[in-house]
Amino acid sequence: MAPEFPDPQWFLALGRLMATRGELFQRIGYVEARFVVRVLPDEDTGGGQEQNTGVAMQGYALADARALACGEAGSFDPDFTICARRAVWRRMLDEIARDGHPELRHTLSSLALMGDELWLESTDQLREDKFYRFNQSLQELFNLAAQLPPG
Amino acid sequence: MPTVPIKDEHRVGTEARFKVEPSPYLQRLFQSGTPDLNWMKETGEWGMHAKPSGLGLRLKDIEIGSYGVIPEHGGEHRSMAPRGAVVPDNVPSLGFTINNKDECWADNVSELYEEAVARQWSSARDIPWDELKPLPDDLERAMCQLCTFLTEIEFIAADAPTRWMSRINQDFFEVKMFLATQAMDEARHMDVFRKRALANGGGLGKASGYSELGLKKIFDAPSFSAQTARLHLLGEGFVLTIFRQGEFIAPSRVDQEIFRRCMQDESRHVGYGTMHLRTQLKSRPELAQEVHNELDDAERILLEIFSEPESVEPMAVLMGGGLAHFDKGMEMQAQLWRRIVGEYLQRCDSAGLDRRPRCLLPTEFSKLFS
Repeated sequence: MAPEFPDPQWFLALGRLMATRGELFQRIGYVEARFVVRVLPDEDTGGGQEQNTGVAMQGYALADARALACGEAGSFDPDFTICARRAVWRRMLDEIARDGHPELRHTLSSLALMGDELWLESTDQLREDKFYRFNQSLQELFNLAAQLPPG
Repeated sequence: MPTVPIKDEHRVGTEARFKVEPSPYLQRLFQSGTPDLNWMKETGEWGMHAKPSGLGLRLKDIEIGSYGVIPEHGGEHRSMAPRGAVVPDNVPSLGFTINNKDECWADNVSELYEEAVARQWSSARDIPWDELKPLPDDLERAMCQLCTFLTEIEFIAADAPTRWMSRINQDFFEVKMFLATQAMDEARHMDVFRKRALANGGGLGKASGYSELGLKKIFDAPSFSAQTARLHLLGEGFVLTIFRQGEFIAPSRVDQEIFRRCMQDESRHVGYGTMHLRTQLKSRPELAQEVHNELDDAERILLEIFSEPESVEPMAVLMGGGLAHFDKGMEMQAQLWRRIVGEYLQRCDSAGLDRRPRCLLPTEFSKLFS
């Protein structure tokens, strides 16, 4: 059975795809960032629980992905945490599955800019700015989800 | 071995103004055939085995032994002799004036240099220009005006710090190398926004007197750290937000790629500036007053820049998705304003500067109007 977002296995599968696309990621440049992807339950349905996955990108590889208990995301020492409700993540991933990339205003950076649907959390602006320093690589990583089998 | 032909070889040196005699060493070598080889004994720390990491051999990988020690004060010889080399007595001074580590250093500077080198891009190759489609007239005009503004202001972040670059003691070469990448980044930004303005049926718009005043103040800053406060902390932090907005408002993938890539570059510059001020303020807390004074003036000019229609309206047109949705665009601008000010203040916090009480920028967008 295919791993589902945001299971660590889902990210590790992206990491394997990343390795096969070495040329693309090498051309964009290396990454040294660790972040948490936080999936919040949808407001209307209230279904599901908050899920946190810690992801470490090192160089041209996804070095680590692990599930973090609710309230313990800080133990991963992330540079930043990307937070959004499940439906927002779902919409982005559906668009990626359909077009290979999200719609123009649904990229990670665009959504984080307005901050209502998706937002960043960090203890230090300097560390949060890594989200922007490595943004192309982050978006390309998520775009690889187009190549994953449907979950 | 075949002789390399040199055109008109018989004329070489016939009108030379000086006659140079072979040095005593060369004469000795010629006569005895025995090399001197003393240079083999005059070395810096020997036996180094720098090991590459998974990303190759980076600056931090060669910070080993005495070579890894960044001096608090740069070499008194003020020459370009490499840090860690044996320096002869007769080297001429280049007159460096920034000779203390805290005047230019940032603990992330080597990392940012390597990152910049690894993440360079080409506006000709990496932007999918052939996907550019005609836009409605109002959007194209707004995009071209925004590109004019960015073309106008971006290169200050190359011109201004490189004025100081030549004054930085060579022992802090990592800072110089980072500033060189910043200059390259800004060249690319000026290049890509000019190209964008000319690529889709529009052209350049109107330059800004207030922007020019802001640029001049950055250019004329009395010290490198004062300039860093104006340029890296406020100016580039603000432009970083514009690039993020640009990524958001991009009417096409072409524009989105341009802004996203510029955003990455800009955030490195902000990263250096913030960390440099942290180093500087930790070492010389009394400098906070000078930094505050610079920011007082820089914030005032920023507010003046955003009192002109050509600065305010293009972004609102693009944010709203057209002139017909100008009000919506202004509402979105208002939503963003708090973020811009909030992030700026957080960067000041990160640098160790409590800017909140003196900050001229209102946290509410509406206060810009009344």
